[in-house]
Amino acid sequence: MKKFFSRRANHEQLEDRELVALAKADAEAFGELYARYVKKMYSYIYHRTGNIQDAEDLTAKVFIRAYSHIGDYVDRGLPFQAWLYRIAHNLVANWHRDQSRRKIIALDDYVARSLHSEAPERLAEESEERDQLLQAVRRLPEERQQLLLLKFIEQMSNAQIGEIMGRTEGAIKSLYHRTLLALRDDMPSSAAADQQRLEGTEV
Amino acid sequence: MTSSSKIQTQATLDAVASGLQAGGDLDELMGRAESPASDAGEFAGLIQALQSALRPVEPRPEFVESLRTELADLIEGQPGLIKRARQMPLRISLAAALALVAGCLLFFMRRLFGSDAPQEIQEEAVATPL
Repeated sequence: MKKFFSRRANHEQLEDRELVALAKADAEAFGELYARYVKKMYSYIYHRTGNIQDAEDLTAKVFIRAYSHIGDYVDRGLPFQAWLYRIAHNLVANWHRDQSRRKIIALDDYVARSLHSEAPERLAEESEERDQLLQAVRRLPEERQQLLLLKFIEQMSNAQIGEIMGRTEGAIKSLYHRTLLALRDDMPSSAAADQQRLEGTEV
Repeated sequence: MTSSSKIQTQATLDAVASGLQAGGDLDELMGRAESPASDAGEFAGLIQALQSALRPVEPRPEFVESLRTELADLIEGQPGLIKRARQMPLRISLAAALALVAGCLLFFMRRLFGSDAPQEIQEEAVATPL
């Protein structure tokens, strides 16, 4: 069995920073980093691209690029995953530039997988609303999409998001507010529902 | 909206998102909000919708394994002939060595004696016609 495959028990206990230092000369350490982050990278890229094939292709590129540059990695106090997310973000940005001529929106399989077994009418309605929302998210500028994915999918704090996006915590809060404003304006049905909720609470 | 109320709204929106992620109830979270309901309330439904729509997606296990293999090949490099021979079990290594020796012998035998055979045939062919 290849060394890369075998996760050493002591590697699993190491922090990212220690693993990165080891990974410059130790394939097993890089294997552990891969095991820790492959799902996160895939999930992030999948939501940014909207299709499985490109998500797999770009996830592979993230790790190949990470491995080829890990020797140059300098620990500046930021988490290792911030570095990986930046690689992923850059690759996705390039992918969007390449794809700008042909539009791929294949969120159906994702939506279908995450549906619950409820009444068909409600299910269809929820699916439609979710689809609309996901499409609205994908119409947002790249950095706003990134913010929402890191916040809602990765459940990161503003400080962590700031580290990845190279911004202050306050700037992330402000960007989040502006992103919600933009989404609300793009989603009239959501705005109407919120208005109803608001009126209900005020009475 | 004044800058202080804007900051307050941002903090509330942030708290609502974090509360929902922690499994909190939206109405309860909105009730606890410090900023005026009209500022943060207009986003509550949207935050909840985002919370339910944006979920982690798992990669196919086959993909995770095949990428792991690809990376392993990339890191360790394709093993050369000698490295592969070293990794073989002893019996297979011996059989491979014997096959190699036999192959070399056959090659040299043919080089040494094989070149005479066509000549003999040619000579016979020349001798036989009537």
